[in-house]
Amino acid sequence: MPSQPPLPPLLASYVSNLPDSSLTLVSSILGATSNWLVLRFLHAALSAPNPNVAFGSDEPQNGIKKKVVLVSFMRSYEFWRTEAKRLGLDLARLADKQQFAFIDGLSELFYAPQATSTPPSISPAGLGSPRTTLPMRSPPGAVPGRSPQPVPTARGVRGNVTTKAEPGIAKKLQFSGRGLASLDALEKDISSVIEQQKSSMEDGDELLLIIDQPDLLLAATGPSMGIGATEISEWITALQQSAHATVLTLATDAPLIQNASTSDVKMATPLETEHAALVIGLAHRAQSVMQLRTLDTGAAKDVSGVLRISRGGGLNTSEKENLEEREALYFIQRDGGVRVFGRGES
Amino acid sequence: MSFRKRNISLSPGVDRNAVPNATAHPAAPVSTPGIRPSPDDGRPTTSTGTRSLDNLLAGHAGLPMGKILLVEENGTTDFAGALLRYYAAEGVIQEQKVHVIGVPEQWGRSLPGLIGSVESLDEKRSDRRKDDRMKIAWRYERLGEFGAVAGSRDAPNNHGEQDAAAKEAPAFCHAFDLTKRLTHPSITNMSFIPLMPSRESPFLAILKRLQTEITSSANTIHRIVIPSLLNPTIYPPNACQPEHVLQFFHALKALMSAHGTRVTAMITMPLSLYPRSSGLVRWIELLSDGVIELCPFPHSADAMATSGAATSQEEPPQGLGVYSEPPAIRD
Repeated sequence: MPSQPPLPPLLASYVSNLPDSSLTLVSSILGATSNWLVLRFLHAALSAPNPNVAFGSDEPQNGIKKKVVLVSFMRSYEFWRTEAKRLGLDLARLADKQQFAFIDGLSELFYAPQATSTPPSISPAGLGSPRTTLPMRSPPGAVPGRSPQPVPTARGVRGNVTTKAEPGIAKKLQFSGRGLASLDALEKDISSVIEQQKSSMEDGDELLLIIDQPDLLLAATGPSMGIGATEISEWITALQQSAHATVLTLATDAPLIQNASTSDVKMATPLETEHAALVIGLAHRAQSVMQLRTLDTGAAKDVSGVLRISRGGGLNTSEKENLEEREALYFIQRDGGVRVFGRGES
Repeated sequence: MSFRKRNISLSPGVDRNAVPNATAHPAAPVSTPGIRPSPDDGRPTTSTGTRSLDNLLAGHAGLPMGKILLVEENGTTDFAGALLRYYAAEGVIQEQKVHVIGVPEQWGRSLPGLIGSVESLDEKRSDRRKDDRMKIAWRYERLGEFGAVAGSRDAPNNHGEQDAAAKEAPAFCHAFDLTKRLTHPSITNMSFIPLMPSRESPFLAILKRLQTEITSSANTIHRIVIPSLLNPTIYPPNACQPEHVLQFFHALKALMSAHGTRVTAMITMPLSLYPRSSGLVRWIELLSDGVIELCPFPHSADAMATSGAATSQEEPPQGLGVYSEPPAIRD
């Protein structure tokens, strides 16, 4: 099979030139992962303009430089680096050139290997205080367990742990404490990297923020730790503000979405209700939703899954014409190349 | 007619030669017994102890290092537990360090006995009905058997050669007998990590122990065996809270990716208690690298009739293996 262009032509207009302050949602399910699509976003933003790209993909012209900050909660830097290399992107070099920054949300998020590390710094006074006034939102008691609004426990927040100088990794996130304070600390870590990237930006340059599976953060903490869909969603909003465009990947497996709506047959667990609330809420805010799923008819030799691109709820009417909704099949080849094609085409 | 090869795109910047092997997994020590490169993309793999299961793992003919394989089972049978024992026994034979979580040492004494390497057994296959190996009627026949190319298919022609080859190369996968008990010098080397009841996450102590043992020994290969995860007879009630079990999985994934060439893990889970339609189980599946669901048939005489896979030569299938995620295909 001939090798594919790194960026399938059909996809090019959707993954490049994301509108200003836009939110793009990539949803995946078990068996139809979103990694390849994230890599296409990376490629669209980071690859050097090159005369061979397919028509219709408006590559960065007139000197607009793009930067990417990738926050990954499910995969290691090693994974992204090797996979990007197959597309011809050298993430290590791009990181050196300050065009790319990787934030590691996997290796030390919940369990830091060096258990004997810094003792928790004693009350960094500023850390939770801006939010001690209870935010006005969500009718009380909507989620059991969240009603006593978590008091920001500044204790144990390891905000500025000096990370080891590992090449390519800008920061390793560590989750500690509970409730809003812990999210604030993560937010601070991420925005510090974003600011660092921005410091070398000129006017007109664009920064793309990709957060890979922030829903993990919700699933692995949950209302009992003072974190619900609302908190995560606000956390994302806060991060969105400093980026030109934001891409999120989320899991939308049926058990995570549908259990919450079939109310009376079976009690939905807080995990399910919160997840559904987060995903649906974000889909309404997003400009476009790219949904990945497996074929309904089972596995096929030459099709990996279905990609559906639809307008999100956050699109205003004037933008609606620009985004054409469509559904296509995709096939991930052994060499990592991806073909995207319409049904019936080969 | 030009002499230039077609199908080569002219885009500069992509080093085409480097691409096929670009999955530059830091090569595991080549000589390590029990580890061989995947025929698919060359990443190091190790055997699960069941060759028919190895052959299902997305063309890698083994479990790639650094991956978590989740085996789920419906009903009250314990085929998954048997698979897990084979996996642990294979680790013992290959002198890898086996960590078993949550069960007493009794579990380690019930590992199946060694018969020999799979290759040497292939020859006898025609003579003797092999009742002793666990066999699963997998649906995915077109996934070729990697080892079989050198093994059974050529066996009739060149018995002698093959025999010699089998002796020369260290075996990758062994055959075990469930009715016997494994005796091997390194069986005492297995470590059993008990669950400590605690008010915090019961998994914290496990992680700490795994972490220290894996980082302290830089050259050994490790296997993490977790039988019957979240089974209430083993795990305390608070273990199945998402913040505990999912954080554990996430940290386990982090541990595996940090030592990606030295660790594999196999985990079984009872689906009757934790159905796949629940969000928690789905997250566990999303955090694993490969998921296999075993659906045993109700034990009945017509099992033979219902399955097309059974021939008179073979045992009737005892269940159906459904895999939901091509295990470890490319993450």
